[in-house]
Order: sequence, then structure tokens, then C-alpha cells
Amino acid sequence: METLLLTQVINVVYEVLILAIIVLGLAVVMGLLNVLNIAHGEFIMIGAYTAYVVQKSGLPYVLAVPAAAGVCGIIGLVVERFLIRPLRYEPFETLLATWGLGLLLRKLVELGFGRGYRSVEIPVVGSLNFFGEAYPTYRLVLMGVSASVLAGLFLWYRRAPTGARIRAMVGNPVLAEAVGIKTRELARNTFVTGTAMAGIAGVMIAPLTPVEPFMGLAFIVNSFFALVVGGMGTVAGLFAGAGIIGGLQSVLSATVNPTTAYLAMLFLSILFLWQRPRGLFPRP
Amino acid sequence: MTGGYFEIEKISGGYGSGRVVRDVSISIGRGEVVCLLGRNGVGKSTLAKLACGFLRPLSGAVRLAGHEITGARPSENLAVGLTYCPQERVVFDDLTVAENLSLMRANRRLDDLDRYFQVFPRLSERLRQHAGTLSGGEKKLLSLVRGLAEGSDMIVIDEPTEGVQFENVVRMAELIVARKNAGASFLVVEQNLTLVDRIADRIVIMDHGEVVLSAAASEVDREDILTHLTV
Repeated sequence: METLLLTQVINVVYEVLILAIIVLGLAVVMGLLNVLNIAHGEFIMIGAYTAYVVQKSGLPYVLAVPAAAGVCGIIGLVVERFLIRPLRYEPFETLLATWGLGLLLRKLVELGFGRGYRSVEIPVVGSLNFFGEAYPTYRLVLMGVSASVLAGLFLWYRRAPTGARIRAMVGNPVLAEAVGIKTRELARNTFVTGTAMAGIAGVMIAPLTPVEPFMGLAFIVNSFFALVVGGMGTVAGLFAGAGIIGGLQSVLSATVNPTTAYLAMLFLSILFLWQRPRGLFPRP
Repeated sequence: MTGGYFEIEKISGGYGSGRVVRDVSISIGRGEVVCLLGRNGVGKSTLAKLACGFLRPLSGAVRLAGHEITGARPSENLAVGLTYCPQERVVFDDLTVAENLSLMRANRRLDDLDRYFQVFPRLSERLRQHAGTLSGGEKKLLSLVRGLAEGSDMIVIDEPTEGVQFENVVRMAELIVARKNAGASFLVVEQNLTLVDRIADRIVIMDHGEVVLSAAASEVDREDILTHLTV
């Protein structure tokens, strides 16, 4: 019984870390630039397809990480130049535009790979004995990588002035340029970082889920709700949102059923949007 | 080249294709403070923005230390030693006072700013507060400190004293004069004669987008200035 409980706890931690990695790209773009990239899920999907292609080519799975970051980064670069920048990063305009972009990306992938499910094999097979309980090694690897990426990002954000510069740029672009911030480049790099991170998230989750053109839809919904609950533009918000949404889903899916978990998440998000629209830890 | 350190040569321009400023030339020497005066809406701020790269001139040229910088981006201009302090939205409201000052410093340290904090203790008391909570006058102090701390040799300031109380206007003047004596040049758009009297080497008055008077400060009567400002 004790070990079963332990497994459950690890499962919750796992769900939370995975959701945090999935949210990360959106948190960067939406939390810092105020651009709700509705196509975020599609970037994850493209990352997953990149992993599929890398694996099918017989290359080591690790190579999928830079490949997906590159592919999604380049798409992000093009999207920023021809969609986001011409719309001057306006929240509503970019929301509509990225919604259309999501449709386009889904159709393009469908055109190239077809509608059917592709499966990516788990790159690290086997299981580890974890306090007397067998646990899939890949999940443990995934948790380790997620935790390191998040911790690294947290430290960097705390130390490097880039976070404050991005806030300065979004709040007062004219003054930002005056104090020496190359605002065009900084906005572009921030957006591209967000899409590249979505690509990496796609590589990480590809072996755990059917890879298909519409897979991104679920991710954008969960990511958006996590940000709504947690609050935008802060690392604490990212963790709190991923923790609450991911934890809630994981616990309720295990104890009741996935539909109830989904309903509870919807209910909680609506409650937050209504009563506390800036989330638990908003940017001051 | 006529020998000025910062040269605005026959600049015309404005917002879009509008011509708010027409053929304005101002040459500022090394260690010279030029005060730009004129009634509201005659194009003073527009000229400052044209000179610093926030607006693209329709014609004319801007030179800094002999190098043409016409149409260069403000961030590039800062890199070659041209600082600009705007008239409006002068600080980052969402950032703390400390962040406003340390934003572009790799090490985030503010040790070398002690001399400014001694002059304006209000700022050092509020380092952890968001700049948006400062009064309009305090924001102007913060903006000036930020501008002076950038260490540029050419500093353009648009209406530094708006909302600033008298004692602090005097202190601003002292800081500007000290930097001037250290070799920096200034173009200060200003209405407040308390400041102008204390810092100006030369006075330029604009009206309807053109320069109508340019003379050494010692040669300009206060009466003359007031006539131009009130008519």
C-alpha cells in the first residue's frame, strides 16, 4: 500500500513536471510578450513529428532535441517576421492570427504525413527499481530533464537582466530603445525562444502519446489554463499553475476518472478567470 | 563640418509625412549647454526625437563627433554616446527604481550612483518600489539620473523639470553643470527659466517649427525670452 502511494506521488510529480515543460514556451510568449500564441500546441506537435522523423532515420533520439528546437525556431522566426511583428504584438490581433496559423500548420502536417497516428518508440526502455516499485526509466529521465531545464531557466531568469529588459520593452518600447535595448531583436528572440521550447517539449512527450496532426489542441488548452491559474510572467506562476492543473488532473484521473478531472480543471479555470483573472502569482 | 560636436543640419520632419520641424540647424560644441525654448507645440520635442532617431527626418542630417547618425536607431545612438531622456513616460513604471537604473548593467550594481543618491535621497529610499508609484517630479529625477549615469558625451533632455519642485530643479542644474564641466554637451528642451538661467550657454528659440532666435545666453534678455514664450 505504501509503495502504491509512493507510485501515485511520483505520478503526480511527473504530470506536473511534464505540464510545466509543455507550458514553458507559452509562458514565455504569453507571459512576457502578451501574445497568446494559439498555435503553441501545433509547435509541440511539430516538435513531436521532428522526433518521429529523427527516430525513423535511425539517428539517436537525443538529436531530436536540437532538430526540433531548430525546426520550431525557424518557423517561429518566419511567423514573427511576417505575422506577429506586422501586427505590432497586439494581443487580440495576434490571437486571431495564431489561431489561423494553428489551422495552417495542422493542415500542412496532415498534407505531409497524413491524418493517421504515428508512434514514436520510447528511446530509453526498461524500468528502474524505485523504492521497491518498478517505474519506467524513460519517465524518470524525463522528470530529471524537465526539472533541470526548469531549474536552469529559473536561475537564469533570476540572475540575468533579460527578464527585466523584456518587461521594460513591453511596458514602454520607446524608452526601452532609448536606454539601449534593441527592441526588435529582443522581441523576436523571445518569441523564437518560446516556439523552440515548444518544439523541445514535443520531443519529450512524443514517445508517450500518439503523434497526429491534432495532438496540439489538448496542449494549448492545458497550457492556457495553467497560466490562467498560476499567473503570467513569473516563474512562481508557472510552477503554481502547472502544479495545480497538472496535480488536479493527475489525482482526479487516478482516483475518479479523466472526464471528471477535465471538468474540475475547466471549473477551476473559469473560477479563476472570473474571480482572479491575473492568477495566483501575476507579474507585479 | 563646422566644428560642432553635435550637429543638427537643416532637419525637417515630423510624424508621418507631416512637417512639424522645418529646416532647423543647431550646432552644439563640446562642453556646451544649449537650451531649446518655445511655446507648446512649436516642434521642440519633435526636433529632439528627430535628432535622436525616434523619428526619421524627411531631410537634413544629424552628426555626432563628425559621424553621420541620421536615421540610426536610438539603441545604436546610445552605443556611440548619445543619451535621450524623453518628455513623457520617462521611466519604466512596471520595474522598480533599482531595476530602472540597473537594467542595462551586466552586474546590476549601483555603487557608482551614490553621488546621485546623495543629491536625490528620495530615490535611494525608494529603490525597491515600483517606479510607477513615484510622483511625476520624482520620475523626472529618476530619468535624469538614468540619463547622466549612461555616461554619454551628448545628452538630449526633453523638459526635465516638469513637476519637479524648486530645490530639486536647482540640484538638477548643478548636476548638469558638473557634467558639462567634465566635457559633456547638452541639448535641453525647457520652459522653466529657473533651470535655463543656471545651465544655458546658448539659447535657441523655436516658433512654428523654425529657429527664430539663437544667441549666447549672456546676450539674451529675459524679456526677449518671455516675449517669445508668451506671444
